Amino acid sequence: MNVLKQTRFILPLIIFILIFALLWRGLNLHPNQIPSPLIGKPAPTFSLPTLFDAKKVTTNKDFFGHVTLMNVWATWCVACAEEHHALVQLAQNKTVFFYGLNYKDDVTAAKKWLKQYGNPYRIVAVDQDGAAAIDWGVYGSPETFVLDKKGMIRYKHIGPIDTDSWEKNLKPLIEKLQHEPV
Amino acid sequence: MVPELGSFAIILALCFAMIQGIAPLFARRNTSHFSKQLSTTAAISQFIFLSIAMLCLIASFLANDITVIYVREHSHALLPFLYRVGAAWGGHEGSLLLWCLILAAWTVAFILFADKKLPLISRANIIMILGFISSGFIIFLLTTSNPFQRNFPSMLVAGNDLTPILQDPGLIFHPPMLYMGYVGFAIGFAFAISALIEGKFNQEWAHACRPWIVLPWSFLSGGIVLGSWWAYRELGWGGWWFWDPVENASLLPWLSATALLHSLIVSEKRQSFKGWTLLLAIITFTLSLLGTFLVRSGVLVSVHAFASDPTRGIFLLCYLALIIGGAFLLYGIRIKNFYQAPSFTLLSRETFLLLNSVILLTAVFTIMIGTLYPIILDALNLGKISVGEPYFNTVFMPIILPLLLLMGFAPHLHWKQHAVKTLWKKFHFTILFSLLVAILAPKILGFTFYWLTFCGIFFAVWIMLATLQYTYQLWKLRKKIELQYGSMIIAHIGIAVIALGVTINKSYSTERQVKMLPGDSVALAGYQFTFVNVDETRGPNYQAITATFDVQKNSSIPQTLKAEQRVYTSHQETLSKPGILVNPFRDLYLALGNELPDGGWSVRIYYKPFVRWIWTGGFLLLIGGLLSLLNYWEKRGNNERA
Repeated sequence: MNVLKQTRFILPLIIFILIFALLWRGLNLHPNQIPSPLIGKPAPTFSLPTLFDAKKVTTNKDFFGHVTLMNVWATWCVACAEEHHALVQLAQNKTVFFYGLNYKDDVTAAKKWLKQYGNPYRIVAVDQDGAAAIDWGVYGSPETFVLDKKGMIRYKHIGPIDTDSWEKNLKPLIEKLQHEPV
Repeated sequence: MVPELGSFAIILALCFAMIQGIAPLFARRNTSHFSKQLSTTAAISQFIFLSIAMLCLIASFLANDITVIYVREHSHALLPFLYRVGAAWGGHEGSLLLWCLILAAWTVAFILFADKKLPLISRANIIMILGFISSGFIIFLLTTSNPFQRNFPSMLVAGNDLTPILQDPGLIFHPPMLYMGYVGFAIGFAFAISALIEGKFNQEWAHACRPWIVLPWSFLSGGIVLGSWWAYRELGWGGWWFWDPVENASLLPWLSATALLHSLIVSEKRQSFKGWTLLLAIITFTLSLLGTFLVRSGVLVSVHAFASDPTRGIFLLCYLALIIGGAFLLYGIRIKNFYQAPSFTLLSRETFLLLNSVILLTAVFTIMIGTLYPIILDALNLGKISVGEPYFNTVFMPIILPLLLLMGFAPHLHWKQHAVKTLWKKFHFTILFSLLVAILAPKILGFTFYWLTFCGIFFAVWIMLATLQYTYQLWKLRKKIELQYGSMIIAHIGIAVIALGVTINKSYSTERQVKMLPGDSVALAGYQFTFVNVDETRGPNYQAITATFDVQKNSSIPQTLKAEQRVYTSHQETLSKPGILVNPFRDLYLALGNELPDGGWSVRIYYKPFVRWIWTGGFLLLIGGLLSLLNYWEKRGNNERA
């Protein structure tokens, strides 16, 4: 009886320890990384004007034949500015085809930005009203998709790319995809 | 320069917080009051330096200093003045600074206004514990979330701007009010720990502790209400409570603090429930910290979580483990000193107040399960889900309804024991009348009858009538209503008003989603909405399309209703600013959607009966709480004179 009484007093501590253990585990989970339903599927079809030549049209055919890094960006997006420098440097290696989707942006500002800070992209599509981005399931920027040589979406990265995420996730995947047949 | 001053002020505040915590440890051995005074002075200095830090942060915002990362991410050259001040606590780093500042402010308030009858040793212990709590938070602030961190961007950027949803006067008042609530429970926690350390818990202790529970509770009530009101106006779909993890994080400590308030009364008046009161004081602060953790660590999905840094979560959790784990351990070891056999019968005020605690804690537990459930499933690899309104509504209602029934009785019951017979004699009219109102009210107001609505109205009217009956008897007996009773009466009526508002709002709200062209007319709940025109307007940092509607009931004089669709220039983000026509019995709420290709507009119209009652009830809680403080203040004056 006495033992029972003692355990009763320690019960709050036990419950607290259980919750603590749960939260500790929870910290290693990533609730925001909702797996994109598009992974393993071909890129959504679109047809958009390019940034530097509004008469030229870019479609998802531009993804075929090479591994593509499709980066959604805008000049108003501070996190995009954070990753921009890294992107410019990574693009110099030419290991992957950099494709930019300029998201809900002012065209003049976007052009000026790329001239001033360097242009990592081989093609920049202009998605003025954000309609294409909706098909891609973009809910914030920057977001980056990795596509294989067949134009299938293989990976989605949310948030700015830094050296850590590049070395850990993106680079190994891109290298693997390079070895896949067309 | 200013940001460096701010950083420096935080570092100094940390030094003072540490002195505040450590100095009293030496006071034990040393009979001189020097170290106690040192601790007090340190607490006041800590407050001063944290205020300086906050002013520096606001100054950085006003100057739009984009070299400060935090400012860059939450401000913009076009952001209006008022929102720049509010933006200082619009993000993680700034809100943590606000957290620390408010804790320091509470500590200073305690030093200045604490009951003079509280023994010096308890006072010193409490200040010491607050010093430790504060040190931990300031270390967290400095190491993981310094708002003054700078970097000089390689390119000039305009600043990320404050999320449009936050650009509302609500931002200025809601977070500080909410924080004043849940940070304030640190004092109650410190009271409990000091009682456990000293092994002493008497009437003076309970009396001295009470205002430090009532006041934060009132602020938290007010803060939750402001938050709900803000969400209603800003989110554009007429909801006032979403069971979002962030909202739950504020509701949990509120529920447990409500239990604590009532248990503390028993401890003060009857020298009973001591272990229970101490436990609730610890649990309440635990829930405050847990809420801070849930909101700040990114373990639950929230809107702005992709920049969340994992070290923050780890730090907060370890800190939580240290403070709360330690507190529960201390409780487990020391609580037997406070154990007493219960000395009341089944039908007594004690039983009802105990039931109050049990029910409220059950509610806390079920809401917590719902909030943590996504983590539980994810941890067990059972998939990613989110728990929403249906769960919470289903489980919360049956738990809370019995409590409403008890609320009517409780004030009437005697301490220790009460006879069943007299109870029936006293209440049969009240009960019958409440039943009658619940049956007839929907008919009179022109609504359909539902059983659940009937229950809700019955309980609400029952609480009101029983409370008024109590007031009347009290007045007959004493020819006046003392403040302490007055505050209880107002708070209980507040709950009844909320219950009535929620019931009617949930049962009879209607909405329509329609396509309208200028000139079109739509009817909802007896009102005629006529789309007059659209117009382009300009705000300081947005462009808007304003739609004007005429609203008319039975060919009365039409009222004008304006709804906006704003596009904020910095992000091209759109925000629908609803137009609301208010009267005490209903809101007409109109949100403008997108323009359709044929020149029409998608429009959502809501009829929200009694929605104002929910917030009015909430403010009654705030008023009730503040009144009881007035009572405490008066008595304190008397004590000093005596």
